[in-house]
Amino acid sequence: MGEGSELIDKIRAKARELLQGGRVDCFIGYEEGSRGRARPAFIYDPQDAERLIWDERCAHNLVVYLHQFKSPLRRGEEPPRVGILVKPCDSRSLNILFREEQIERERVYVVGVTCDGVRTNGRPQERCRRCAERVPLVYDIVMGGVPNVLGRDDYADVAKLEQMSPRERLAFWAKEFDRCIRCYACRQACPACYCFECVAEQLDPAWMGIAIDLPQKQFFHAMRAYHLAGRCSGCSACEEACPMGIPLSLLNRKVAREVEALFGYKAGQDAETPPPLATFKKEEQLPM
Amino acid sequence: MQVTTREHLTAWLDGLAGHMTLIAPKTVEQRVLYRPVADSSEIAFDFARTDLPVKEHFLPPTDVLLSIEKGKEGVRLEEPSLEGERTVFGLRPCDARALRVLDALFLKEPADPYYAERREKTTLVGLACREMGEQCFCTSLGLAPDEAGDVDVMLTEMEEGGGEGEKGRGGEGRRRYAVQVMTEKGEAILGALNLDKVEGAMPVAAVGSKTPVLEAGEWPRLFERAYWARLADRCLSCRLCTYVCPTCRCFDVRDYEVPCEGASSGGASNGSAPGGHIERLRAWDSCMAEGYRRIAGGHNPRLTKGDRLRNRFYCKFCYYPQDYGPIACVGCGRCIAMCPVNVDVVEVLADVATL
Repeated sequence: MGEGSELIDKIRAKARELLQGGRVDCFIGYEEGSRGRARPAFIYDPQDAERLIWDERCAHNLVVYLHQFKSPLRRGEEPPRVGILVKPCDSRSLNILFREEQIERERVYVVGVTCDGVRTNGRPQERCRRCAERVPLVYDIVMGGVPNVLGRDDYADVAKLEQMSPRERLAFWAKEFDRCIRCYACRQACPACYCFECVAEQLDPAWMGIAIDLPQKQFFHAMRAYHLAGRCSGCSACEEACPMGIPLSLLNRKVAREVEALFGYKAGQDAETPPPLATFKKEEQLPM
Repeated sequence: MQVTTREHLTAWLDGLAGHMTLIAPKTVEQRVLYRPVADSSEIAFDFARTDLPVKEHFLPPTDVLLSIEKGKEGVRLEEPSLEGERTVFGLRPCDARALRVLDALFLKEPADPYYAERREKTTLVGLACREMGEQCFCTSLGLAPDEAGDVDVMLTEMEEGGGEGEKGRGGEGRRRYAVQVMTEKGEAILGALNLDKVEGAMPVAAVGSKTPVLEAGEWPRLFERAYWARLADRCLSCRLCTYVCPTCRCFDVRDYEVPCEGASSGGASNGSAPGGHIERLRAWDSCMAEGYRRIAGGHNPRLTKGDRLRNRFYCKFCYYPQDYGPIACVGCGRCIAMCPVNVDVVEVLADVATL
């Protein structure tokens, strides 16, 4: 991100060009928010491309917003075409959505940016320390210099979790989930959570009920982790959104690691490989 | 002016905790929350604002309203008995004002008996803010960081001139607080608290700039503006802002079968019939949720997240004042601090003033 303003100019110019040429109806990027924060920006008018920014505060995974462009803005029209700025981590989420046929590849113009890591409240994010992917995996155009840093993931946090006895682990998660307020910020920030009606809110049948107590909280988070098995790109959007500081990434990383060990599969590496939990091979049949 | 010291205060609080529930700011996994405490050693005295408001102790996230038992002798209804006397210590003025805002709805006849009983049984001991926090805008809503009008007793920490040593751990017990008794309830609870009379002026909190708040009557003409949909583009449509809000108060009520003791997963139970024990639960709900406004037949008058986000602001600044009197916002700034995508109510108020 060292190039600073030059790179921002390139992003703005690209967004302007895409909007002016009618290639996209909206460009999703980042803008200057209030109180020194960066936030998601939705640019519909080429003139507004000037609002776009790009720096280490741009932590949000914007891919979650593609879901709101899946249906037409006006009845009878085609769904809109969207331009989107993605970091390498976000690009994995894109691959997941393309593979799951949530949005057609040609409806999205992907502006990838290389990345040296993002920060939240001035602190580098944990996941960036571990990140070894500094160039987006899918893009129509990629911008930014050759990344300076390369992280390494030793899964020390997951190993610590695995060393606990089942009883200790249950106590650990019960303590963490007890703070949950069932606000669903984690789910809403997640690009891979896009069910029309979440099991947690379904009323008929009412799988979970409306109580905001520990059993519901535990069930919700365990269920979400399972539903994300082989589908979590590790973007940490859930953990970043959580108002109560619950270490949701730790849970997702544990599951992702299991999936990788069992199936040799890492979510979001491409848009073609069938995800292991959405496919069935005869030889996987359990002995009866 | 009456003053007391931290030492006297903690001794008094320990005494209170001995014979009633004491709810106070407590650090829980790096969050400061109002929690029942066993004694004063668990209390966090130095905090800007608790991460969650005190509303959970008056409108609990989950509340059993009624228990229904179907047995051989017929149907038995039982209302669970509520807690005994309670004191909330360390209430910030905005959270205290938020209770007044909730009173306007829940105590309006016919009053909500669950809320009313909790309110009746609780004495509020406020702790004034010395300054406004980064996201605070209470002064824009007619409050002040040292507003004492909404609590039974208000404590205001005294500025101690120059003494650096005072700030050290050893000096904590000697920190002094001005004590204002605001109600009879407050007078009664003070009891054994050691008070000294001193000459001098009350400490005054530092205040920040104000944001103009549009009158309730001005909001309807802005209802159809495209602004709301554009604002909502980035909204995640989660429930965070409503659940951390001290005045958001929507709830859902549903009946659930309580599994019998010793019931197997197949549903068989030890003698009593299935459906023999039902509980009526009330739990928080949120207008930000897609299903909140869905009606029979599947129609949803607030289908888009723009409709829902707009409703939140209209509820706070237009509908609630028109229906119940007070604005349903106290400027605590929690939603500003915690919204993952920077939906900032102060920014929205500034924007609508120019729409």
